[in-house]
Amino acid sequence: MAQEWRPKPGDRIFRPRRTKRFRLRRVLGISAIFSAGYGNVGSSIYYALGIVALVAVGATPVALGAAGLLFIFTALSYAEGTASLPEAGGSASFARHGFNDLAGFIAGWALMLSYIVTISISAFTISPYLGFFWEPFKTSPIIGTITSMAIVFFLMVINVIGIRESSLVNVGAAILDIATQVALVIIGFILLFNPPVLISRMLDNWPDTSNLILGIALASIAYTGIETMSQMAEETKHPEERVPRALVMMIITVLVIFAGISLVSLSAMSPQELSSEWARDPVAGIATHIPIALISNTLKPLIAILAATILLIATNAGLIGISRLAYSLGSHKMIPPALSRLNSRFKTPHVAIILFSMVALVVLIPGFFDASVFENMGALYAVGSLIAFMFAHASIISLRYKKPDLPRPFKPPFNVTIRGREVPVSAMLGLAATTVVWAIILITQPYSRWAGLGWMAGGLVIYYLYRRSQHLPLTRLPEERRWPRAKN
Amino acid sequence: MEFKKILVPVGGTEADEEAMRLACRLVKKDKGKIWAVYVITIKRSLPLDAEIEIDIRKAEAILDHMETVADEEDQEIETDVLQAREAGPAIIDEVVDRQVDVIVMGIKHKVHLGQFSLGSVVPYVLKNAPCPVILYQR
Repeated sequence: MAQEWRPKPGDRIFRPRRTKRFRLRRVLGISAIFSAGYGNVGSSIYYALGIVALVAVGATPVALGAAGLLFIFTALSYAEGTASLPEAGGSASFARHGFNDLAGFIAGWALMLSYIVTISISAFTISPYLGFFWEPFKTSPIIGTITSMAIVFFLMVINVIGIRESSLVNVGAAILDIATQVALVIIGFILLFNPPVLISRMLDNWPDTSNLILGIALASIAYTGIETMSQMAEETKHPEERVPRALVMMIITVLVIFAGISLVSLSAMSPQELSSEWARDPVAGIATHIPIALISNTLKPLIAILAATILLIATNAGLIGISRLAYSLGSHKMIPPALSRLNSRFKTPHVAIILFSMVALVVLIPGFFDASVFENMGALYAVGSLIAFMFAHASIISLRYKKPDLPRPFKPPFNVTIRGREVPVSAMLGLAATTVVWAIILITQPYSRWAGLGWMAGGLVIYYLYRRSQHLPLTRLPEERRWPRAKN
Repeated sequence: MEFKKILVPVGGTEADEEAMRLACRLVKKDKGKIWAVYVITIKRSLPLDAEIEIDIRKAEAILDHMETVADEEDQEIETDVLQAREAGPAIIDEVVDRQVDVIVMGIKHKVHLGQFSLGSVVPYVLKNAPCPVILYQR
């Protein structure tokens, strides 16, 4: 038996990227990615409309439209990044490849904030829609918050056990939801849409410039679920083709539905009513205002059930997303590996699921006391996801220079040549716009500023301490491990 | 003797399965951990980080099978794929790095030029391992 063993100089070990380490299989098709993504993005309309109407008032459709343009730029950057780097991690993965570990960590940590808030905000919005069946769900903040907490807790347990909603359920819920929303828009356009009323409501309640910009910033939260589709790339068959296609399908669907619903909602009710009485369930507000009782009475329970279902899927998608992200960050030595530890029985990252569910529950606590927590959570959501978007755009640009030969099955249209490399205009505009929107939210929203920056600062401290404890530099890619020193 | 950490290098032979079952039984008493590793040897003409899809797929399939075998024994294992120029030093590096208590290797009866042969990896591991090595021949 050798007492001392020394490796030969120059010998090294490389650990190849392992998709199966995550126990993920490439089984998903376009419909599955689209429906899961739509579950997350499409559900945003059930709460985003009310949040945007709170500040953008009469300009709500304009704010949603402007944010929609930003959404197109972001979707194009994600399409290029995901097609080139089809792995879990989303913008954290792009940033790690485009810059270094530290950038990957910042993007990933910001995404974690976004996921925690999406879990809380989606769960928080389920109870008002359930208020159709039992009034206290909507009227009592205590019952509403307890219900939201119970939903998060229930999903936490389910996720630890490892029960996953099948793609069939996701696809079914998405189809039903799209059908209901399209029906609502069509019925709304026939029965409620009134251009003179809409224009007068918009002009009479036009916000000042700062509120309009803030409205656009808040409207961007409606589109933040896009990350989910990128996170699923590692489970998708032929992701280089299917993810961009699913993204384009989602852009069109979401923009059409959001535009229709925002126009119909302002035709149906005043911005004040939308942002007060119906702030937490604006789509139900539209159904209530439909003048034909039969249609209204049919749509109301349907919307309540569908909204609750799709928001439940969005909450669950948030939990699945954050656990997958934590696992990805842990496996790249960006966070302590304890967070990516798998449960020996259920084979799920139970530590991450439990920890981040607990954080989401803590975020929900102010709901007992303060109704404005809803608005605060919306802005906080935007803070996290906009950081991730900034890194996604910047990484796409950086990768064009750092890895020009990287296969790019999808390239956004309109590229300009700068310093000998083609750079997508959409990424540059997206980077500039997201940075401005992020800065506006930080300046105007003190809760989000301090909670968001505190979260990021705390994360950087954890990253620094962890990397130092592992004797790893802050920015190096830890993909190649050197030989350990032989003990004398 | 305690077996808290066991490394099972696998190569896709039938003996691997029995070696894994043996490791599972050894580790059970002390509630220890098992790592199964597959080493992809990369030619010197290729970069060490070359992604050879067919080899990675083979490695994953073998490690998946090892997980199934361990599942049957009601034992959780961790698996890893390594890329190195030679399998022997990579296995020893893993042993040193993880401070393994024992290596369990399955070997198959090989005859080279009419003589029984252990190949190159097993002798290297036997010579350099800083811990006991258990060989299981099928």
